[in-house]
Amino acid sequence: MQKFVVVALNSLLAAGLYATMSYGLAVIYGVMRIINLAHAGLMMLAAYATWALNDRFGMDPFLSMVVVAPAFFLIGMALYATLIRWLPRSAAGPSMQSLLLLFGVWLVLQNLAYAIWGGDTQSILTPYTMESVEILGGRFGVPQILVFVVSILSLVGLNLVLRRTYLGKAIRAVTQNRDAAMLSGVNAGQIAAVAFGIGTAFAAMGGSMLSTLYAFTPDFGRSFLLKSFCIIVLGGMESFTGVAVGALVLAFIENFASAYTSIPVSYQDAISFTLLVVVLVAAPGGLPGLWRMLDRRVVAR
Amino acid sequence: MIGVFRRHPALVPGLLFAAFLLLAPTFAQRGMLNDLWNMAFFVVLASAWNLLGGYAGQVSLGYSAFVGIGAYTTVLMANAGWSPWLTLPIGAALAVAFSVVVGLPTFRLRGPYFTIATIGVGEAVRVIASGLEFTGGSSGVRMPPGTFDFGANYYAMVGLALVTLALVAWLQQNAFGLALEAIRQDIDAAEALGVHSTQTKLQAHAISAALVAIAGGLFAINFQYISPGSVFDFRLSLTIVLMPIVGGMATVTGPVLGALLFSYLQIKLLASPTLRDSYLFIYGGLLIVVMLFEPRGIVGLWERLSGLRPRRPAPPPVGEARRAS
Amino acid sequence: MPAEDGPILAVSSVSKRFGGLLALDSVSFEVQRGEIFSVIGPNGAGKTTLFSCLVGTYPPTSGSVRFRGEDLKGLRNDEVVVRGLVRTHQIVKPFRDMTVADNIRVGVLYGRLQLRGAKARERVDEVLTRTQLGSRAQVKAGVLSIGELKRLEIARALATGPEVLCLDEVMGGLNPAEIQQAMALVRALRDGGLTILMIEHHVHAVAGLSDRLVVLNFGKKIAEGRPAEALRDPAVVAAYLGDETKEGARA
Repeated sequence: MQKFVVVALNSLLAAGLYATMSYGLAVIYGVMRIINLAHAGLMMLAAYATWALNDRFGMDPFLSMVVVAPAFFLIGMALYATLIRWLPRSAAGPSMQSLLLLFGVWLVLQNLAYAIWGGDTQSILTPYTMESVEILGGRFGVPQILVFVVSILSLVGLNLVLRRTYLGKAIRAVTQNRDAAMLSGVNAGQIAAVAFGIGTAFAAMGGSMLSTLYAFTPDFGRSFLLKSFCIIVLGGMESFTGVAVGALVLAFIENFASAYTSIPVSYQDAISFTLLVVVLVAAPGGLPGLWRMLDRRVVAR
Repeated sequence: MIGVFRRHPALVPGLLFAAFLLLAPTFAQRGMLNDLWNMAFFVVLASAWNLLGGYAGQVSLGYSAFVGIGAYTTVLMANAGWSPWLTLPIGAALAVAFSVVVGLPTFRLRGPYFTIATIGVGEAVRVIASGLEFTGGSSGVRMPPGTFDFGANYYAMVGLALVTLALVAWLQQNAFGLALEAIRQDIDAAEALGVHSTQTKLQAHAISAALVAIAGGLFAINFQYISPGSVFDFRLSLTIVLMPIVGGMATVTGPVLGALLFSYLQIKLLASPTLRDSYLFIYGGLLIVVMLFEPRGIVGLWERLSGLRPRRPAPPPVGEARRAS
Repeated sequence: MPAEDGPILAVSSVSKRFGGLLALDSVSFEVQRGEIFSVIGPNGAGKTTLFSCLVGTYPPTSGSVRFRGEDLKGLRNDEVVVRGLVRTHQIVKPFRDMTVADNIRVGVLYGRLQLRGAKARERVDEVLTRTQLGSRAQVKAGVLSIGELKRLEIARALATGPEVLCLDEVMGGLNPAEIQQAMALVRALRDGGLTILMIEHHVHAVAGLSDRLVVLNFGKKIAEGRPAEALRDPAVVAAYLGDETKEGARA
């Protein structure tokens, strides 16, 4: 029982981080139906930026997010204005053209990191990196807890923006029905630029937080990209609450699998990759789709 | 007879180049022969991938798995006493089996979703291969001594390249090729006319997997040492995909042009240390430029400039993502 | 063995549900061999959904479809086509990068006939002639006009050598002259031995062409029979005029 609680808490803490980084992907997909493979590169770059600020100025990684997130918001908007804007919109969904283009951007970002910081593994060390607290009988690292807190704050913030501001409502409108939103006076182009900025900012926050928990190299990001993608598919691809649920599900599966089965840690990533493929194939509508199917079987006829 | 050459103008330089490749060992230096071998290797990978990725429009980023399967099968069986040449068809058979295992679930996915699934599969394969003991783990394995014969290997690779090109050229104009094109351009319409799309995709996947695996086996024989880092690498999957994209997907000459370009790049990159560190920049930049300005690659650019196409660039010849219901 | 007498197509209590939306509600009707049978109804009545259920694009939620006596349950679209039941699409889906001839060739090679070689080439020419697309044979489908694209939809489906041809609004977007041409083509196809199932909005075309028809509204069948009678049914009139207070359901 004790072990269960500890594993559950670990899952919860991880889920917060997962949700934050997945929202980056979800916002861009929702508004533009584009799968942003550069998400991985942006997370990685933000991790390096956080590390550099810590290394150069001694800035605390969590505090530096106040600088990093807005900076990456602007970077995202710039990416949209220079590259994404020119892509033709595909009526039937995400296009290979956008996928491959952003894949190219990811490669460029990787090279940028190699060029500036070299290929050595980096990590961030703060006074509290090694500290831990005891909660309900388990020991949890301080960085882990801080990451969770910051994640929740960012998600609450996002939620407020989505529900209370014009911008947020416009984003939700375009996500649900682009044409109807445009007819209602929403400037879809501007919204797209802002959405890309928000998506990039959340990728950056995810990367910053990851830098406090893991060591990283320029190649880092691919497994988190795949996890993010797995989460948004689980969550139903067009639902914001779905992402939170997807994050919880993935975090729980990962943590419980490593705690209760003998699958070696190095194979853990293979779990999320396999889950991604399984989810894509067996439940393309994500959990909402499964729920609908279940609902029908239980209720109708 | 002349009509064939008029209809396919690329055939003339192609045949001349084939002759050049076959005669090269009589006059060229070993260094150049190595480069030509590399080029032939890339031609096989790019053209084989193009069957599924270009003609059928299913972009897979996990093809290094087939190179690895072919390479490891050859090395492990050679070490068990088999003649290296006999291991090649076995590697091909295993690759075909794997292509079906992967294809059956993933071919239900459309466009980008399929591509992302293949990233996942490729990563899973790499992680598992690095962990297994009998494959030598992450330190790799070596061919047994006495199996190296550059002359035979050179002709084997060049031969494989020519066979691959001939096969692709034949398939793309017969019934099978028409089905691939139909699947790429509108999979629902294709099914509505009687095309069994999943079976067709599986077949294309299998054929290309076999060819790539044989190339992988020849790679192992040529370099005598392989490791997960050299054959199961994501970078290799990337190169395989970039060649047809930059050269021109869904054409016979496109992958060849791409292979020429990338083998040249590889030579230049290996020679200069600064450029070696910039290869991602070059690859990424190429991808961005191609997708923004000429999604149909070099061949598409040529067609546009020589008036065969309208002025505006056409979208890449890869199909739509979702079923319109 | 499929039965040779009896209706060539029997639709029994077919329903289709998409999540919370019931697109088709227990629709039943039979089509006799050699008929021109129309499916009409206001927009959103479920007509195209019905076609999709018939040919296996997706399965019905409940009910059954029998073609030549054989239950089509669980069959894929391509399997149904090979048996002789084929459909065109309301929003045309040409293979834009292929020539008109190659578009048709797909149907010839993979449809019910599965011809090869010289026989396949002959059939392509035959279909090109029947649908008057001969002059456009080597043109890429992407540059055709809407009228030509509609004809190409029919041509491709025809190329498969079907017994029942399901036409989904082939007259949509055509000018009056083109509509006349299309009607003549449909008649010629039926006279050549095909059974035709048509979704159509143009009431004149429907009335003039059809032997019998069925009227759908909100997924339910509200009338069935010969055009003259069905079109005069007050329930049908009400449905088209959008009078939702009237409820008329004919068994």
